[in-house]
Amino acid sequence: MPRVQREARVAWDGNLPRGSGSITAATGSFADLPYSLATRVEQPDGKTSPEELLAAAHAACYAMSLAGELTTAGSAPEHLDVRAVVTLDEVEGGSHRIVSSDVLARARVTGMDGPALQRVAELASEGCPFSALIEASGEVTVKAILEGGTDGN
Amino acid sequence: MATERKAQVIWEGDLMSGSGHIESVSSGTFGGLDVDWRARSEEPGGKTSPEELIAAAHATCLSMALSNGLAQAGHAPEKLETSATVTFQPGEGITKIALEVVGRVPGMGEGEFEQAAEQAKENCPVSKALAGVPELDLNARLEG
Repeated sequence: MPRVQREARVAWDGNLPRGSGSITAATGSFADLPYSLATRVEQPDGKTSPEELLAAAHAACYAMSLAGELTTAGSAPEHLDVRAVVTLDEVEGGSHRIVSSDVLARARVTGMDGPALQRVAELASEGCPFSALIEASGEVTVKAILEGGTDGN
Repeated sequence: MATERKAQVIWEGDLMSGSGHIESVSSGTFGGLDVDWRARSEEPGGKTSPEELIAAAHATCLSMALSNGLAQAGHAPEKLETSATVTFQPGEGITKIALEVVGRVPGMGEGEFEQAAEQAKENCPVSKALAGVPELDLNARLEG
């Protein structure tokens, strides 16, 4: 398959504590999203942050990977609801580090029980390029639940 | 203090013919963005993808780290324009990220700016999280 390139542009004005920026996607999918330091490390107040964008990237990447693995296992999903939570924390020396991304997937699938779904969910994380990257420096957890009340475990 | 940011994606169907959307994010800044495999791996057709979101995260993070480094060196920037281009090789993963930053920084020389940008690239949390990407390029220059 050919290589794919995706680009985003950011404009930033001023210093870190009081400055602010805006983010635009080259595809036009989103434009002029505001962000600042205060809203990155404190309350978001309607502004996005690198960590929120990574959470969106991870949830989108993982949902595709899980759809692919479920199809391979003979149970193409009817509906997947995937949530990713990315955590930024202060580490020794006062610098910040992305320490984890936690994924929760609710799946409406037929022909699969909870434990089987959880196994496929873990395979899907291995197959998602973004999970592999985060795992090099932080922790990735994946939990999958069958929709309709049956817990995956 | 730890900060959490959350996003939710809904997907329907298999990978090749199904489709999804980024339903919501914790800040509420964006939502309802469509994603599908074809738009991710071929022409985007106005749709975003995990790789584009990673590009946005990285450009955002670099801008903040650099504005901080410049201010600490006594040269707070008037303006930084940053872009990130993420290369995705289906079946292999993310193979390259190219960062480009153009700064308007009064009283600063080109070499000093390049050095500050290099340091921001090394230290920003997104760079550290994406340290496994085989190639990370940076092109930094002053405006004009």
